[in-house]
Amino acid sequence: MRDDFRQDDGIVSAVIRTRFAAAIVLLSAALLPGCSGTSPSADGKATARALAIGSGHGSFSTAPDAAAGDWTSQARDYANSRYSTLDQINTTNVGRLKVAWTFSDGALYGHEGAPLVTGGTMYTVSPFPNRAFALDLTKPGGPIKWVYDPKPSPMAIGKACCDPVLRGWAIGDGKLIYNLLDDHVVAVDLKTGREMWRTTMADVSHGVTMTMSAFVAGDKVFVGNSGGELGVSGWIAALDIHSGKELWRAYSTGSDHGVKIGPRFKPLYPQYKGKDLGLRTWPAGMAIHGTGAVWGFISYDPTLNLIYYGTSNPGPRVPAQRPGDNLWTSAVFARDATTGEAVWAYQFTPHDQWDYDGVNEMMLLDLTIGGRLRHTIVHFDRNTFAYVLDRATGEVLRADNFAPQNWSLGFDWRTKRPIVNPAKTPKVGEKVEHICPPDIGQKDWEPPSFSPRTGLIYVGIFNICMDLTNHKVSYIAGTPYDGMEMTRHSVDGKDGDWGALIAWDPVAGKVAWRIPEKFMVMSGTIATAGDLAFYGTTDGWFKAIDARSGKLLWKQKLSSGVIGQPITYLGPDGRQYVAVASGIGGAAMVQSGRPGLPARGSTLYVFSIDGKDIAETPPPAAGGT
Amino acid sequence: MKTAGIAAIALAAAALGASASGWIVAHVAQGRRDGVVPTNIGYQGPASVALGDIAGAAVPGGAIDMPNPYGTSPQAIADGKRLYQAMNCAGCHGYDGGGNMGPALNDAYWRYGGAPAQIYKTIYEGRPQGMPAWGHALPADQLWKITAYVSSLGGGVDPKDAVAALRGDRPPSTDVKAQPNAAEGGSAVEGQ
Repeated sequence: MRDDFRQDDGIVSAVIRTRFAAAIVLLSAALLPGCSGTSPSADGKATARALAIGSGHGSFSTAPDAAAGDWTSQARDYANSRYSTLDQINTTNVGRLKVAWTFSDGALYGHEGAPLVTGGTMYTVSPFPNRAFALDLTKPGGPIKWVYDPKPSPMAIGKACCDPVLRGWAIGDGKLIYNLLDDHVVAVDLKTGREMWRTTMADVSHGVTMTMSAFVAGDKVFVGNSGGELGVSGWIAALDIHSGKELWRAYSTGSDHGVKIGPRFKPLYPQYKGKDLGLRTWPAGMAIHGTGAVWGFISYDPTLNLIYYGTSNPGPRVPAQRPGDNLWTSAVFARDATTGEAVWAYQFTPHDQWDYDGVNEMMLLDLTIGGRLRHTIVHFDRNTFAYVLDRATGEVLRADNFAPQNWSLGFDWRTKRPIVNPAKTPKVGEKVEHICPPDIGQKDWEPPSFSPRTGLIYVGIFNICMDLTNHKVSYIAGTPYDGMEMTRHSVDGKDGDWGALIAWDPVAGKVAWRIPEKFMVMSGTIATAGDLAFYGTTDGWFKAIDARSGKLLWKQKLSSGVIGQPITYLGPDGRQYVAVASGIGGAAMVQSGRPGLPARGSTLYVFSIDGKDIAETPPPAAGGT
Repeated sequence: MKTAGIAAIALAAAALGASASGWIVAHVAQGRRDGVVPTNIGYQGPASVALGDIAGAAVPGGAIDMPNPYGTSPQAIADGKRLYQAMNCAGCHGYDGGGNMGPALNDAYWRYGGAPAQIYKTIYEGRPQGMPAWGHALPADQLWKITAYVSSLGGGVDPKDAVAALRGDRPPSTDVKAQPNAAEGGSAVEGQ
């Protein structure tokens, strides 16, 4: 271990530091020479208003082209853009946003999903016990139309690694479709709340839970499992939207047969060529409990008919027990949506030693890279590299750090693998200090948004590290197959910030601007044609910023922390609303030792200009004040 | 014969239900500190049942004040710690008992009681929210050793205080401080 790349504060200098000042310097040099930014103020106001725009604008497919005023899937579109063309609420009037109405679902676990809106109705589902509510938007205050109570097994609470959460729900074929924590998928009639089908996917007593949002494309529902800390076998499955019947299931580890690797699998890089790599990159007998769970968001390219999703960490989390690359964990798969056949794969963190996973969302953006229009995936991995891949082939086009990290000394473009820093590899029975990021990454599952008007991606991130001691573990069904003893802390020492919101330029591979936050930013973000981006903080502030400059334009303190995903929609009154759930939980609870962290909550907030709702006068015209 | 038996069970169940539901049982009413004896106009059932306080939550039904046969033996605690890690208890309840997937074991909040006999029972039987039942896998001496370790983590209830703890009465030695960082409520907040 060399000493000469250590800075005084212990951060490896090879790391790209994205502290605000550094980002300004980088951006000024790279994009806007001569343009000077200013420093962030202590309360987190971004003041880099002169630095505006991504280096290439980019675009995405808006399929399935839901009505502009609706929000019918977690990400709004198959591409995972979370971009809305609504602009009634914009930079000139967002300061007048006020609460129009609120709604409590009565559940106190982490609220991670986005409410959906269609047909004058809002659909929201609570974390465990996963009750669904239809709220009537044609009436003041959004009264309940129906409640559906699936009564999942309480055993699931104690099998969920990170709070009994649900990351979202889907709409298709006149049904609301979602996963229960106890491994059932349910479909409920949108109009009546009647259960149409219920499909059993796994046995919760063996540590399998389901927390991800179901994803609908065409007549199929795609779902996956959780349990990366419990030695499960990770999978994704497709169900028939009409009957709930399982059409295919593909595992993340094991033989080619189980992984659905066959003649159509055309990996670009040599480490993925060979038979049964999902078995042969593991010690004998280990692949079956090797996880690669599928608990993030899925995206879909209708032109290629491919779905994209990431796989979780390998199990057990202690790397000493599983030498090898541990394929296909902490990776991305492209699969034929119809048959489930793997078409290509790429592993972000080979032999993942830190629980980095690869589950974070794949944004399907069309960008000009190196002078050529490329159909890409942009992926912010928990390992702190922001990847740009060609989504037809899996070719790696970019790999840039979006936040401080020290587990890797850089990206090896010859092997297409990050170079591991030997000083930050975990040891059994020995504490390794200040590994950045910790297990949950510098960004977890919380989904970013992209604005084609700015070319920027708005990403909630962390600014944290861990001290890690590994313990050997045995597989005991239904218990953690884990072995990581951790404490987390800020990158910047005892009083340092734990989070930030960044605007990322995916073409330049750089932070355009950065808003520091005292607490982790674990909310989704949305971007709008009103040139706004919205995000929430885990200490309970919901904020609107200028999508070009990052200037704070509006903020509202909510009752609990925000780890949900905002949406925006037009009500039946033609008025634009913004909605977000408040209810801290999930991985944000790693901050529970920090003074100032709010208590749990269960409240959905809906905002409009001046707090007016359907009982009031007609809305202002677009762009009005 | 069979029918009569079922009827008897049904009657007993009804009586228990009346007492458990808080509909009046003279015994309970007499315990009111304000001296008011509540009545239920129109209720025609028995004024009390002859079973005493059997349905009352405040009365221990078993030997919950039974001590751990290993007491606070350091050797038993050390063995218990080894088992606690080997059985993956730490994965849910934390290497320091601070809780994570499962409830904290080092604080004063116990869903199912924090005296040794109650902890033993929880480990033996499992609990509905995901706690596995270890009674099949481990012999009694190992369960008591794990119990000794759990009791030592900071929240263990002394057997002689077990009954008082059911009522929320803390022994005078318990030091409860305001904590600025406990807003999230820890595992005492049970979502549903």
